[in-house]
Amino acid sequence: MWRGLLLLWMTVSMVAAFTWAPLVPGLEETTRVLYFHIPAAWLSVVGLGWSMVHSLLYLGRRRIEHDDHAAAAAELGLLFCVVATVSGSVWAKAVWHSYWNWDPRETSIFFILLIYGAYLALRSAIEGEERRARLSAIYSAAAFVTVPFLMFVVPRIYFSLHPDPLINPGGKIEMDPRIRIGFGAMLVGFTGLFAWLLSLRVRLVRLERVQLEAGAVPGGSL
Amino acid sequence: MPSNGSSSAAAVWAVLRKECRSEWRTRYGLNAALLFAVTTLTAVSFAIGRLGNRTDLLAALLWIVLLFAALASLSHAFVREVEGRTLLLLRLVASPAAIATGKLVFNLLFLGVLELVTVPLFLVLMGAPPPRWGAFLGILGLGSIALGGCATLVGAVISQARGRGALYAAVSFPLLLPMLAAAVSGTRAQWEGGPVGSEARLLTAYAAAVVGASLLLYDRLWED
Amino acid sequence: MSVALRSVAGAERPSITAQGVWHRYGPGRGLEPVSFAWCGPSVAAVTGANGSGKSTLLKVLAGLVAPSGGTATLSIGGSLVPNRARRRCVGYASPDLMFYDELSCAENLAFAGEALGLRDVRRAFTAALDQVGLGRVAEDRPGALSSGMLQRLRLALALLHGPAVLLLDEPTSHMDDEGRDLVARVVERHRRAGLVVIASNDEREWRIAEQRIELRGRGLGGAA
Repeated sequence: MWRGLLLLWMTVSMVAAFTWAPLVPGLEETTRVLYFHIPAAWLSVVGLGWSMVHSLLYLGRRRIEHDDHAAAAAELGLLFCVVATVSGSVWAKAVWHSYWNWDPRETSIFFILLIYGAYLALRSAIEGEERRARLSAIYSAAAFVTVPFLMFVVPRIYFSLHPDPLINPGGKIEMDPRIRIGFGAMLVGFTGLFAWLLSLRVRLVRLERVQLEAGAVPGGSL
Repeated sequence: MPSNGSSSAAAVWAVLRKECRSEWRTRYGLNAALLFAVTTLTAVSFAIGRLGNRTDLLAALLWIVLLFAALASLSHAFVREVEGRTLLLLRLVASPAAIATGKLVFNLLFLGVLELVTVPLFLVLMGAPPPRWGAFLGILGLGSIALGGCATLVGAVISQARGRGALYAAVSFPLLLPMLAAAVSGTRAQWEGGPVGSEARLLTAYAAAVVGASLLLYDRLWED
Repeated sequence: MSVALRSVAGAERPSITAQGVWHRYGPGRGLEPVSFAWCGPSVAAVTGANGSGKSTLLKVLAGLVAPSGGTATLSIGGSLVPNRARRRCVGYASPDLMFYDELSCAENLAFAGEALGLRDVRRAFTAALDQVGLGRVAEDRPGALSSGMLQRLRLALALLHGPAVLLLDEPTSHMDDEGRDLVARVVERHRRAGLVVIASNDEREWRIAEQRIELRGRGLGGAA
């Protein structure tokens, strides 16, 4: 049963991350945020990508299943994006003594947060299943086009305080292998969690549709 | 009777002329947008006075005024069709791409007229003539095309949603953010006498990407 | 005099084939799968209860709605008309078609003609207006017309480009006896060379049809 395995995996890696893995000098106990913050940030990007790819697929194939995936991935992505933003902000307060200062990473995650928010707000404002799927896919595809530009724009305007230089200066691998193992395990665990939640959400949306259909059609299919 | 050659260009032209004629007869959209821009501008100027030497603030304020004037008016081209229930007529006679291109060109003209009034007024009120007009107008023009392209696409989408007025600014904003950042930093660099080449290239690429993607996406805009 | 008549005579035998066409707007709303083949010259009728999808079917045939499934094809003289060119071969009129109130009736039709790429727009819209007896009110705004006259203007739009196929959704709604006679005359003239499709529950409207399909679905729209 892979859900049980996932639970076991997450528990073991979480315990290991807090007890077995050492701290990074200079970051001290705040090192621990690494095991939650980075996987969450990673999944908010994965969620956005998954949502956008399914939006493009919907535009190409017009199958409502792609819209289910796009919507579910956006909802979950927003959740993980909030986790990443809040954990990052709390960490920034501890280390940089400020919750928010438009660091490039903060800017990019804020941008992702905005896209998710706008996408979901747009969805909730469109009536009609097919129209909602089509228009939100169009919006998502347009956002897909603009995302790469942000990567060019942001570094031009802001400079970074983000601690990759602290953890991994000059690209040399200095991270303790135990941190790397713990981090890798958490990344895998979080990704598994995301996949599981996504499949649940998609199934739920499908069930809701079947139920609506059955309710709207007296003696209809089902 | 129907001719085949260059029919989509004819349709774009017809839509553009129709838009201009409707706007000219009512002047509803343009008056509202101009009033809005001038009000914002006066409020900004009244609140902070002349800012001739604060180039960082000048660039940001200029684009904020333009952004809000655009977001207050550019969805109008599509919303008008939905509210007047004339979209069906429009769709009967022109392809989605022709409709949207016509509206895009109209919106760009609209922005141009808006800026013709707003920008000189801004420069006078703030007491900050641009040192290099070429660079200033170049960034302004490219930024406006990018702004108009995004705002037209989102306007077309939002016109089919409920609560479109309230949603429009919020939904456009994420798409406008990269372009806004580039336009602000370009305008600022121009005031400080620095090079604007990289921002100009970025804005050009951005405008091209958004308009190009729009032309592909417009075909799926109206299917019910 | 009649532009429509001449070009219809030039078009050879339009035909419409639908294979398993269905559309759903959402749960419980839409058109159940339907298949048929109609060949002109002829009049075909679509009947069925409210909400059975008559209007949706006509919109699918006009290319306004992309069906959720199935294909609806239009061919003229044995050759398939691509979707892009469909609006130039099809004239469509329905009660939810509205016109621009900033433009006069003539200007509305002139805009439609320009967008469709007609060569002689002026002659086309004068002929169309004369055909439906609206020559006198050409310079009036559509908002000033009575609902029966508005219905005639919709018919004029459908006839404007001399299409091979006429799709008429409840063509005589709001019309007086004179209007009904007018519609009957237009249909009679058009059936000789083209194909007329009438969607209606009014037997006076579809009585003249040679072929009729009745939509019996409750608008379930082919449950997924």
